[in-house]
Amino acid sequence: MSARGRGVRVTGDDRDVDRYDRRTFLGRSAAGAAALALGGIGGPVLLSGCSSSSSASTSAKPGVGTGTPKRGGTLTVGLNSDIDGFLPSTNHFDNSGIVYANTVYDTLTAVAADGTAQPYLAQSISSNADRTVWTLSLRPDVTFHDGSALTADVVVANFRALQQSPLTGQAVKVITGVSATGPLTVQYTASEPLVAFPYYLATQVGYVVALAQLDSADPSSHPIGTGPFVFDSWEPNDHFTARRNPNYWRAGLPYLDSITYKPIAQDQSRQSSLQSGTIELMVTRDPNAIVSLQRDPSFQQVTDANPAHGQNDVGFIYLNTAVDPLSDLTVRQALACATDTAQIAKLFGAGVLQPITSPYPEGSPYRAPDNGYPSYDLAKAKTLVAQAAPRHGGTIKVELATIPDPRLSELVQAVQSMWGAAGVQATVSQIEQVTFIDNLALGSFQAYTGDQFDAADPDENYVWWSPTSAGPPGTIALNFTRNKDPELEAALQAGRTNPDPSARAQAYQQVDTLLARDLPYLWLTTNVWSMTGTDKVQNFDNPTLPGGQPARGMTAGYFTPTEFWVEP
Amino acid sequence: MGRYVVTRLVQLVAITFLISVLVFLLVHLLPGDPTLAILGPNDTPTARHELLAQLGLDKSLLQQYWIWIRNVFSGNFGKSFLTGQTVANAIAVALPIDIELIIVSQAMAVIVAVPLALLAARRPNRLLDRIATTGSFGMLSIPTFVVAVLLVLVFAVQIHAFPATGYVRFTTDPAQNLRSVVLPSIALAFGSIAVYYRLLRADLIATMQEDYITMARSKGLSTTFILVRHALRPSSFTLLAGAGISIGSLFTGAFVVEVLFQLPGLGYQLVNAIYARDYLMVQGMALVAAVGYVVINFVVDFLLTVLDPRVRRA
Amino acid sequence: MPEHPFSEDLVAPTELLGADAGSEAVIVAEAAAPRLPGETRRRGLGWLFWVCLAWVALLALAALLAPVLPLKAPNFQDYTAVSRGPSIHHLLGTDDLGRDLLSRIVWGSRVSLIIGFASVGIGLLVGGSFGLFAGFRGGPADSVLNAGSFVLLAFPPLLAIMVIEAFWGRTLWKLVLMFALIATPQLFRVIRATTLSFANREFVVAARTMGARTNRILLRELLPNVVPAAISFALLGVAIAIIVEGSLAFLGLSIQLPVASLGNIVNQGVQNDNLQLNPYIALWPALYIFLLLTSLNLMADRLRSRFDVRDVKL
Repeated sequence: MSARGRGVRVTGDDRDVDRYDRRTFLGRSAAGAAALALGGIGGPVLLSGCSSSSSASTSAKPGVGTGTPKRGGTLTVGLNSDIDGFLPSTNHFDNSGIVYANTVYDTLTAVAADGTAQPYLAQSISSNADRTVWTLSLRPDVTFHDGSALTADVVVANFRALQQSPLTGQAVKVITGVSATGPLTVQYTASEPLVAFPYYLATQVGYVVALAQLDSADPSSHPIGTGPFVFDSWEPNDHFTARRNPNYWRAGLPYLDSITYKPIAQDQSRQSSLQSGTIELMVTRDPNAIVSLQRDPSFQQVTDANPAHGQNDVGFIYLNTAVDPLSDLTVRQALACATDTAQIAKLFGAGVLQPITSPYPEGSPYRAPDNGYPSYDLAKAKTLVAQAAPRHGGTIKVELATIPDPRLSELVQAVQSMWGAAGVQATVSQIEQVTFIDNLALGSFQAYTGDQFDAADPDENYVWWSPTSAGPPGTIALNFTRNKDPELEAALQAGRTNPDPSARAQAYQQVDTLLARDLPYLWLTTNVWSMTGTDKVQNFDNPTLPGGQPARGMTAGYFTPTEFWVEP
Repeated sequence: MGRYVVTRLVQLVAITFLISVLVFLLVHLLPGDPTLAILGPNDTPTARHELLAQLGLDKSLLQQYWIWIRNVFSGNFGKSFLTGQTVANAIAVALPIDIELIIVSQAMAVIVAVPLALLAARRPNRLLDRIATTGSFGMLSIPTFVVAVLLVLVFAVQIHAFPATGYVRFTTDPAQNLRSVVLPSIALAFGSIAVYYRLLRADLIATMQEDYITMARSKGLSTTFILVRHALRPSSFTLLAGAGISIGSLFTGAFVVEVLFQLPGLGYQLVNAIYARDYLMVQGMALVAAVGYVVINFVVDFLLTVLDPRVRRA
Repeated sequence: MPEHPFSEDLVAPTELLGADAGSEAVIVAEAAAPRLPGETRRRGLGWLFWVCLAWVALLALAALLAPVLPLKAPNFQDYTAVSRGPSIHHLLGTDDLGRDLLSRIVWGSRVSLIIGFASVGIGLLVGGSFGLFAGFRGGPADSVLNAGSFVLLAFPPLLAIMVIEAFWGRTLWKLVLMFALIATPQLFRVIRATTLSFANREFVVAARTMGARTNRILLRELLPNVVPAAISFALLGVAIAIIVEGSLAFLGLSIQLPVASLGNIVNQGVQNDNLQLNPYIALWPALYIFLLLTSLNLMADRLRSRFDVRDVKL
């Protein structure tokens, strides 16, 4: 894997597949589409990682700009959702939320292409020997959009807000003390060794907003940060615009004069918008869109497939281990054996998604060599069902649900059918997003689809997997599946507190194995996110850190727009 | 005349009141409440209680209704639980989109329907008439979202004539604004074309039987001339009535189009608010939509009574 | 000499033209337009009517007999035959989960037709009875019912459906009841308007003067005249219901998956790039809906022209 890390290229082999497909199958006319339909879609499109061999073509790597950056211009980007506000401590930041935040705010640290967390807004970060006290030095002479200075007091105030907010308080509970030990120095004290603390500051809890915003009557509506762009306007469900920050602390950046985000919830509408020129860059994780845009020479595309470091978003099914019949391990095993993930990848992945048996990607040091996750075995599934059924009144009934997404709706119908073949009676329903999340949090569900767990460091998933986050159904718990396994907690703790890399690797491999044994999640496939742009958009996947070191590129649908430029 | 207006006004008030009660009740019948949407998975029972009190949701339903309706009368529709935007502001932003969609789509429908109806009325039950009639039924038979998707595929993706999504305000850029409403308006117009065509055709043919038309014909005037000059105007009242019916319901009926084309109009915002249990937003928008419907109906009725002397009497 | 148009018994013109709420519903208005003088009153209903009736009957029969017909299981997913075009094994092809399209469409038509006919049937029974009563009686009872129907019609139907489904679910008969809830006020308005236009006719006035009792008048004089118009509207109402079901499917509010309905299948056909990858999924149900609706419309047309005795002139 090259030092560049991100970005994915189609290798020489796939070019041939491309050509064949384009000539024979890429019929945009109805006749062509009909011909395509009769044969089914063309062969798998392999999205391999960066190969070190250079390609035959002279074109630049997608997403990496060539030549001198051009200052000026505007860009319109299509995102997959809107947010409800801009305050990190109270508003929900999904991938789109992080994009908005990265536009007007900076995080204290950022993830580099080599997978490490490096200072970003902070100038340096260090800890004591046992990782319980972390010290941050801020960059001098950084100002917020309203002219106020970035000082340690501001950072402390931000953290206090996080601690006091019911939304984020849980995530930062482990930090017991924060104080300004100098005009530009902040000290954090943790209740236990926190090896991965720098990574936390690269996520939602690492954004720093101005005091004026924190103190205002309506802090969520008008962001004031240190970020590359200054907030201009926001019309919910319509657009968000920000203009260049002339006093940005990273000299010479950003290149764009302004950037506009348009939330377009429907995947197909977003794709049509890109193809019709309404937007110039878009984010999607719809495999069909990824494939058809990959084949279109008028667009450049990058995906986050095959990450070199960290974890990506994965697709799975939450199994609520606290309710009947899923509290019965045999039932969960039966479901795992009945789910043909390879077939699911084929049906819904358009060749882009891969079946998985672990939340850690191939090549990750945290992935156990053989975690023992049950593979697809219909006969075994039937046996297990027959075994368990008497304990549950003769028939095993499971309620499977998802959000009203067209692709996920089809997915659950397929899963229902697969489980049915093993003798499990599953019902399928679609539940709108807010209720869906409520049910997950409260444990009022049986089997729900999930897309989660992207992390630069495995400790970021602690709060979702730890038994300490599990509460009985009816109370709110972040460990939705309520899996309480003391061995799992021990392994998670070991990974969290032991600085030795090989000890950590072992600990998380143990986590991997335990998750495969306890089966709170049925792993399905990878999720692949892509960014696709017209030729006008340059350098949209080539972020760097202040020192020049390459930063981690687009992951799980979020990015930083600082170094984009547009050709006039 | 005065009596008529007064009666209608009284009806308007009564209906509005009943609708407000219905909307309020129905919204509060929805399971779940906004606290989890706002606080997320991390809220504690204390935080929830606090938030409920803050939002005024801990009072009895009757109290909440009274507070709401009292505020509405003073123009205060409340604030969104989620975004903090005032409901009035949100409505003010969303309404122009719907209004423009309605105007443009109905105008399109009329522009297509009138000439077709005129042509058909020239020779009723002949080939053109039959084709137009079947065609108009065909347009009614296709679900709106199918029309919308096809329009986008052809006119936005294949031919970059129009944008696939998004709304540009008229004040920002008039030309782009018109471009952005063309495709959604066509999708909405499909159903209306058939209706206007049929209504107008029937009325034209009927009018052509009138004595004064026969007189005109005996003077040697051509059928076309007569149609346009003499028959069209009295027949257009039915168009007006038909328009009133269509328009009143398009407010929230245009939701499908708004989703596909990502136009944040009233329908789209209303449904989002329902999903988020953003009570005040739902109540405010539903009330506005319902009142709009009633008002438009009344206005059209009134216009017809004033303009069309052929109005029936019960 | 024309009477003063602003009498207090005025029937609003839009009411006469027919109910509203839902732009598709406007077609009902069209059907209310009287038979054209000059249009020859047909002896029979025309051969086309019988063809359409036979076609509709065939479709209804297929839907009814679905369980005993030699169809493949509609929900069986054959992963070796994903997205295939028509062939010997699958006469209409398969969808993107390998399910047989012919079977799904026949079973889906069952759902759509039941929703269409049952909901309109209920609406006709309930709304029609009230409409007949209100139209004939007039007075305060009529005003109350009329205002009530207006309130129901003005209420955003989408909101109502979403709320009801949120705590009640989406099985077939629950959907029928929800659709009936929406159809009833519309049919009420239409039947009431029709009744009103008959209620002042000479034969009814004559019956009244002769001292006939209300029931007798209702049954013997009004009902036989209202029924053909009612059936005409009802057929159109079925057509509308089927289209509306399609729109609901798009919003994920129609019958629970994986149960097929025509709307569900069309929706599936336009999502997930299926229009490009496998247009048959959308094509067949759309064609089915088109042919069914055209037949229903034609039948409604013929019925109206055969039985309507009203005049345009005042």
